[in-house]
Amino acid sequence: MSSSLLRPPSHLPPATALHNSQQAPNILNNSPGAVSTSVIQSLLSTSESQELWTTYENLLLSLLRTGDDDSAHLCLARLAKRFGDDNERVMALKGLIKEADANDTATLEIILKEYDQILQDNPTNLPIVKRRVALLRSMGRTPESITALISLLDVSPTDAEAWAELADLYFSQGLYSQAIFALEEVLVLQPNAWNVHARLGEMLLMASKTSDAPRHLAEALKRFSRSIELCDDYLRGYYGLKLTTTQLLSEPQKASKQTEPDELAVPSSATVQKLDEAATEKLAEIVRRHTAGERDWQGYEEAEITAARELLEKASEKTVR
Amino acid sequence: MTWISKSTTGFGLLLLAHACYSAHEHSALQSHRAASLSSLPTTQSGSTTSLPIDITIETVLATLMICLGLVSGTSRLRPIQWRVWAGQIEREGEAGFTNSSGEVEKDYVGNPFRLLESRPGFVDIRKQRKEFAEWVKGQ
Repeated sequence: MSSSLLRPPSHLPPATALHNSQQAPNILNNSPGAVSTSVIQSLLSTSESQELWTTYENLLLSLLRTGDDDSAHLCLARLAKRFGDDNERVMALKGLIKEADANDTATLEIILKEYDQILQDNPTNLPIVKRRVALLRSMGRTPESITALISLLDVSPTDAEAWAELADLYFSQGLYSQAIFALEEVLVLQPNAWNVHARLGEMLLMASKTSDAPRHLAEALKRFSRSIELCDDYLRGYYGLKLTTTQLLSEPQKASKQTEPDELAVPSSATVQKLDEAATEKLAEIVRRHTAGERDWQGYEEAEITAARELLEKASEKTVR
Repeated sequence: MTWISKSTTGFGLLLLAHACYSAHEHSALQSHRAASLSSLPTTQSGSTTSLPIDITIETVLATLMICLGLVSGTSRLRPIQWRVWAGQIEREGEAGFTNSSGEVEKDYVGNPFRLLESRPGFVDIRKQRKEFAEWVKGQ
């Protein structure tokens, strides 16, 4: 179970976070508090594993989330002892603890000033820049946060995580085309990320509700298909594909009049029909096998399965009528 | 399953050691005999220098046994096709990446691109704390 502490915990359900935090006393007691950095001693004493520090970092995040601040400070102290107070990641974690402790806006302003101070000394301290962006967003100052993030991306344009955050920020402001652009940048950096393909498809699907439906739908169809191509039995991809094909079939598109060379044409309705059938079949299979409790099909989340089942039921109701 | 492979490897190593020892003893004995026989006029060297067949068989058998033990002790093979591997992560979750003793393998990270959606560098800790407090209240 402690293997989940080797992965960043922010997407875990609350129960798992609580479970991780409850392991804290155990881990803190059993792990070495400090590992000597001298070569001779490290040869003699128990070897320092890389997982130890990952565990500390993720444990710290879980502890902060569950509000166990004392243990969190202990974790930070050990990390600082090992890597030094001026390590960039340790600095960011320190800021994180302060943010978690802050009760009012005034304190947050002070923390923000501290970040600015650190960045004046070293403008390329990426973890702190990211903390600053996150803090601004958390304080509700999204436009400022976007500006800060864009300047970060000017410095380091290959940071896929930052592009993904930018996409999410734009999306929260309803700026679909900018968000889509940012996600496309993520895909340039990580072309195999099947979940980002699906995310981009979802965003295009939402954008198609507001403007330029045929082009966005065609693009979404392409993205969902790619995510399925990259990952067998990808529920999210098939779900999106089903939604898109339903949309395309329900409102027959006029023969695409804008046939610009670089534009993606909406595929013929026969192709869409086939894709729709394939998606329905696959979704039904996933739901059936997961519910039947087959051992190799238990990786899906319950909520996803429920959503897929509802979508299928809705679709079948429509055909009956 | 691990103890089977381990005991097979161990037994193979033991056999191999025994074969080596036998070969060594045999050659020692041969040279001793050759030295003692050289005083005699009728030497029959050449016919006695080859290793007895049972030692050869033992060596080959031991090597095969060690190979078998090591091969049966390796962890499960991973899919080499990207979509199959990704599909396994999505479909089976942690359960698909257990080693022979039933624990999740250490290098299993789930979907490595999940970081692009959870973005630990930009975590909003105050929101997470609030959500967690509400979850606790709801329990």
